[in-house]
Amino acid sequence: MYFIPIFPEIFLFLWAILIFVVDFFLKEDKRKNLGYLSLLGILITIILLFFSAQGEMFGKVYSYDSLSLFFKLVFLLSAFLAISVSIDFVAKFRAFKGEFFGLILFSTVGMMLLSSARELIFLYVSLELVTIPLYVLAAYLKPDKKSAEAGLKYMLLGAISSAILLYGISLIYGITGTTFLLGIKTRLMVDYLQIGPIGPGLFLSFIFFIAGFGFKLALVPFHMWAPDVYEGAPTPITAFLSVGSKAAGLVAFLRVFFESFSVYNPDWVTIVAVLAALSMIIGNIIALPQTNIKRMLAYSSIAQVGYILVGLVALSERGVSSVAFYTLAYLFANLGAFVVAIAFELQTGSSEIKDYSGLSISSPTLSFLMMLFLLSLVGIPPLAGFVGKYYLFAAAIEKHLIWLVVIAVLTSVISLYYYVGVIKEMYFNKKEGGEKIFLPFGIKLALLICIIGVLLVGLFPNPFLNLASQAATVFKY
Amino acid sequence: MPSLYHYLSLSALLFCIGIFGALTRRNAIGILMAIELLFNAVNINFVAFARFIDPQAIVGQVFTIFVITIAAAEAAVGLAIIILIYRQHKGVDVDKVNIMKW
Amino acid sequence: MIEYVWLIPLLPLIGFVINGILGRRLGKTLVSLIGCGTIGVSFLISVKILFELLSLPAEHRIIERVVFPWIYSGLFKVNVSFLLDPLSCVMILVVSGVGFFIHVYSIGYMGEDKGFARFFSFMNLFVFFMLTLVLSNNFLLLYLGWEGVGLCSYLLIGFWYEKKSASDAAKKAFIVNRIGDFGFALGIMLIFWTFGTLNYSDVFLQAPSILTLGGGLATAITLLLFAGAVGKSAQIPLYVWLPDAMEGPTPVSALIHAATMVTAGVYMVARCHVLFQLAPFTMGLVAVIGAVTALYTASIGMVQNDIKRVLAYSTISQLGYMFLGCGVGAFASGIFHLMTHAFFKALLFLGAGCVMHALSGELNMQKMGELKNKLPVTFWTMFAAVLAISGIPLFSGFFSKDEILWKAFSQGNLILWIIGLVTAGMTAFYMFRLFFLTFFGKSRVDESIKSHIHESPKIMIVPLMVLAVLSVIGGYIGVPKSLGGGNNFESFLSPVFGEKGEIALHPASTEYLLMALSVVVALLGIFFAYRFYIKSPDLPKSLAQRFSFPYKLLLNKYYVDELYFKIVVNPLLKFATFLWQFFDVKVIDGIANGLANTVNWFAGIGRKVQTGYVRNYALGMVFGVLLILAYFILR
Repeated sequence: MYFIPIFPEIFLFLWAILIFVVDFFLKEDKRKNLGYLSLLGILITIILLFFSAQGEMFGKVYSYDSLSLFFKLVFLLSAFLAISVSIDFVAKFRAFKGEFFGLILFSTVGMMLLSSARELIFLYVSLELVTIPLYVLAAYLKPDKKSAEAGLKYMLLGAISSAILLYGISLIYGITGTTFLLGIKTRLMVDYLQIGPIGPGLFLSFIFFIAGFGFKLALVPFHMWAPDVYEGAPTPITAFLSVGSKAAGLVAFLRVFFESFSVYNPDWVTIVAVLAALSMIIGNIIALPQTNIKRMLAYSSIAQVGYILVGLVALSERGVSSVAFYTLAYLFANLGAFVVAIAFELQTGSSEIKDYSGLSISSPTLSFLMMLFLLSLVGIPPLAGFVGKYYLFAAAIEKHLIWLVVIAVLTSVISLYYYVGVIKEMYFNKKEGGEKIFLPFGIKLALLICIIGVLLVGLFPNPFLNLASQAATVFKY
Repeated sequence: MPSLYHYLSLSALLFCIGIFGALTRRNAIGILMAIELLFNAVNINFVAFARFIDPQAIVGQVFTIFVITIAAAEAAVGLAIIILIYRQHKGVDVDKVNIMKW
Repeated sequence: MIEYVWLIPLLPLIGFVINGILGRRLGKTLVSLIGCGTIGVSFLISVKILFELLSLPAEHRIIERVVFPWIYSGLFKVNVSFLLDPLSCVMILVVSGVGFFIHVYSIGYMGEDKGFARFFSFMNLFVFFMLTLVLSNNFLLLYLGWEGVGLCSYLLIGFWYEKKSASDAAKKAFIVNRIGDFGFALGIMLIFWTFGTLNYSDVFLQAPSILTLGGGLATAITLLLFAGAVGKSAQIPLYVWLPDAMEGPTPVSALIHAATMVTAGVYMVARCHVLFQLAPFTMGLVAVIGAVTALYTASIGMVQNDIKRVLAYSTISQLGYMFLGCGVGAFASGIFHLMTHAFFKALLFLGAGCVMHALSGELNMQKMGELKNKLPVTFWTMFAAVLAISGIPLFSGFFSKDEILWKAFSQGNLILWIIGLVTAGMTAFYMFRLFFLTFFGKSRVDESIKSHIHESPKIMIVPLMVLAVLSVIGGYIGVPKSLGGGNNFESFLSPVFGEKGEIALHPASTEYLLMALSVVVALLGIFFAYRFYIKSPDLPKSLAQRFSFPYKLLLNKYYVDELYFKIVVNPLLKFATFLWQFFDVKVIDGIANGLANTVNWFAGIGRKVQTGYVRNYALGMVFGVLLILAYFILR
C-alpha cells in the first residue's frame, strides 16, 4: 500500500497542529513531553516517506523523487536532532510553550515541500514557510537581548532577500511567461536557439536568484546575517539553521538552476564558483579570531557551503551526488559539534571557547566526541567529512576546476587551525576542577546519532553514496 | 495607453526606492515599510507581466495574491519582533541594536 | 555453516565492543563469559566449517564470500570479503582454538588485575583482527588485520603501562614493526600498480602472465612483502622487539607473541607463494634469513636466565624454521610447523605463567628449581611441550621440524640443512636447560616465598592439559609417507599450494637416516643439558669463566640492541635534534608563524566588516548584487 506522494508533509503538518492543540491542555511542567511527541511525529514521517509513492502531483507542481527523498531525510534528521537537544534546553525559556516544537515542525514541513517544488509559486510559499517560523524561533529567548537582536536582523535581512528573490521570479515569469520549472527550461531553450546569448533581464534574474538562495545558504556576500543570528539564537535553533535551512536553500538552488537554467550554465556557473571561493576564503579566515564557539561555527558553516558548491559547479551527475553526500556528512559533524556546545552551554551557561579548557579531564567522552566532529569538519580520514570532501574535489577535478580545488584545499588547511584550536583548548590547556558535563537523555541520543553517522558515513560510505547518486539522477546534465 | 515598459519602469523605480529606504532608514518600522515597497514593486511586475505576456493572464495575479498574503505574515512576525526590541531598548533604532558584531 | 563464516571474526568484535564499553560495570564473571564465549563460539563454528570443508571434494574447497562492498573509488575496488580455503581454515582453527584456551587461562591469570575488562576487550579485539587477517581475500583487508594486530600487540605489551619498561617495550615493538610495515605497504601498492587489483585470486591468476620468473618486478614485490613479514615475525634484522615484548602479561606472550600474531608473516608468505615462487632470489633470501635467525637466536637462548626471554628467543628461532621451510618451497611444512608450534609454545608460555604465578612473579630461572613435586600438572604438561619442541619422536614437533629439514635437504641445500640440524640440537639443549633449572635440582627460591608455592587454580590448569594433549598428538595429522602415514596435512593443503609429487631424488632410506641423525642431535642436546644442570651444576659457571668472551657475547645478545642504538638510533636522534633546533624552529616555524600571522592580520581586518549594524549587512547584500551585475556588464 502506498500513500500519495505528499502524504508525509500533510501528516507532519497535522502533527504540528496537534502539538499546538495538545499544548493547551498541558500543565507547565508537563510541556517538556511535547518534545517527545514531536520526535515521534518525525519518526513516523520518516517511515511514511518510504511508504509514499514517488511521483508528481497537482500537475507537475509537486514531485516526490529520489532527490527530494534524500533531502527530506536530511531535513527530518536535522529536525529530529534539533528537537531532541531542545527538550532540556527549553528549561531556559521563561515562558516556554509547546509552540517551540510546533514551529520547528512547520519549518521542517516547509523544507520538505521546498525540496519537491517544481513551480515557482509553490517554491516561494514553501520557502517562506521555512523562514517565517525561524524568525520567531531565533528571537525565542525573550528576555535575552542577543536573541531579540538575532531575530530582528534575521527577519529584516530575510525579508529583503526574499523580496530580491521575488523580483527575480517576476522577471523570469515575464521572460518566459510561465512559472513551471520545466516550462521555463523549454522556453529558455527556444529563446537560446532563436536569440542566442543571455540578455540583461535574464541575467538580472539569475543574480537575484543567486542572491535569494545565497542568503539561505549564507554564501558570501549574502552571509553577513549568519554570524550574528547564529550567535544570538537559541543554540538548538542555530544548529537547525546551520543544517536544515542551509540544505533547504541548497535543494531549491539545485532545482531551479539545474532544471530551469541549465541552458545558460556557463553564464551563472562562473559567478557561483567565484562566490564559493570567496565563501571558503572569507569564512575560514574570519573564523580564526573568533572566541565564541557558536560564532566560530557560523563562519565555519559559511566556509562549508563553499565546499559544497565546489561539487555543484562541476555540473555533473557525480558533482550533484557528491553535494548530496557531503550535505549528509556535514549534517552529522556540524550538528554533533553543536550538540556538544549545547550540552556545555546548558551546564555552564557559556559558549566561549576559552571556557572549554580542561574539558578533556572533567568529561573525557564528550571532548573526544567533540574532537571527532571537528576533525570530520576539517576532513580528516576516516571520518565522514574526509570521504565527503574527497568526492566533492574529485568531481571538480574531473571538470578541470583545478583553481577552485586548490583554494578549497588551502582553506581547509586554514580551517584546521581554528578547529584544532578548540581541541587544543580541551586537551592541552589543562585546568583541573572543571565539573563533569551532565548529559540528559535527549542530548545523549543526539550525540549517539551524530557519532554513529560520522563514523558510518566515513567508514562505509557506499550505501549513502548510492542514495546520493540516485538523488543526482533527477537532473539531465 | 501605457505599455509594459512603463509598468516595468515604475516597478524598478519602486524597487530602488525600497532598497534605498531599507539601507538608509534607522527606524525599524521604516525599514519594514521599505520592504513592503519592495514587495509592491514585485507585485506590479507580476500583474503587468500577467496582463501583457501571459496568454492565460492568471498566474501572475495568483502570485500577487500569494505575495500579499505572505508579506502580511512576514510583517506580523516582523512587528512582533520589533515590539520585543522596543521593550528592551526603549526604542526602535536599529543602529542601537548591535551587541553582536565582528 | 560456511555461509556464516563472517560470524567468526564478528563475534570477538562484539565481545570487544561489549567489554570495552560496559566492561567495568559488568563484573568479572560476565566479562570473562563474554570474552571467552565469543571466541569459543567462533572456534566451534571453525570446527564445523572444517568438517564441512572436508566433506567437499578437494577441488571445491576454495570458497570466497563477499560480506559487503567496502571501498569503491574508480578502479580501486575492495570488498570486505572472506576467503575460505584449507590454509585459512587451519589458521582460524589455530587462532580461535589456541586463542580460546588462552582466554580461559587468562580468567585465572588476570583474575586479580584491575584492568580485567580492558584486558579481555583488547584480547578480543586482537582475535578479531587476527581472524580478519587470515580470512581476508584481498591485500587491503589483510593489511587492516596486519596493522590491527600490531596495534593490539602494542596495547597489550604496554598493558601495565605504569611500568616504564612495559611502555618502552610497547613503543619499541610498534616502531620496529612500522619499519617492516612500511615495506609491506609499499609492496601492496606495487601489487595494485602492477595488477590493478588487490584480490588474491585475481593477482595470483594474473601473476604468471604479468610477472616473469625471476624478473625485477616479482623480486621487488616479494622483497617488500617479505620486509613486512620480517618485522611482524621478528626475523633478523628486526627481531629485537620480540624479547622485550615479554613485558606484557604472560597470556599475551602466549597468544600474540608465540602462537598467532608473530606467525602472520609466515602465513602471508605462504599465502603469496605464487608470487614468491616467481622470485627465486627472494625465496633464497627467505630461506637464508630463516635459517640464520633460527641458529642465531637459539644460541642466545642457551644462556638467558629470564624464563620468558628464553621462550621468546626460542619463538624467534622456531619462526626461523618456518621461514626456512617456506624458503625452500615447502610451504605446507612451514604451516604444519606453525600449527604444532602454536600448540607447544602456547603451552610453554602458559606453563611459565603458572610457574611465575606460583613464585609471585619470579622470572629468573636461577631462582627456581625443585618445583617438580610442587607443581605436578605444570611439570608434566610442560614436559610434553619440551619434548615436542625438542623434536623427540612421537611428539608433534618431531614431525613438523623433520619435515622442514627433510625438504631443505632434498632441495639440495646442504648448508641450510646443517644449520637447521645444529639449531635442533641447541633447541633441545636450551629447552631442557629451562626445564631442569625450573623443576629439578636444588631449590634456589627466595625463602620469603618458598612457603606458599602452590599449583594454579583449575581454570588455568585445564587449558594446559588440553594444549599438552594437542602438543603430543598434533603431529599425527602430518605423518610423512615414509613413516607409514598419509601426510594428510599436506594433502589437505594441496588445493592451496598445489600438488607436489614427492621428489624421489633420495631413497626413503636417506630420509630414515636423516631422521635418526636429528634425533641423535636432539638427544645430544638433552644430554648436555642434563650434564650441565643436573649432574654437575657448577660446570656452567666454570665454563662461562673459561669462555668468558663468547659467553658474555651471548648473554648480551651479541650486543645488537646496543649496536642498533649506536649506529641507528643515536645518529637519528642527533639528526632529528638538528632538524628540530635549527631547521624546524628557525626555518619552518618562521615561515609557518609568518604565514599564520599574516592570515590572522587579515582576519582581524576582515572581521571588522561585520559591523553589527543590520543596515550595513543589507548594504553588503545589495553591493554583492551590484558587483555581479558589474561583472556581467564589463565582461
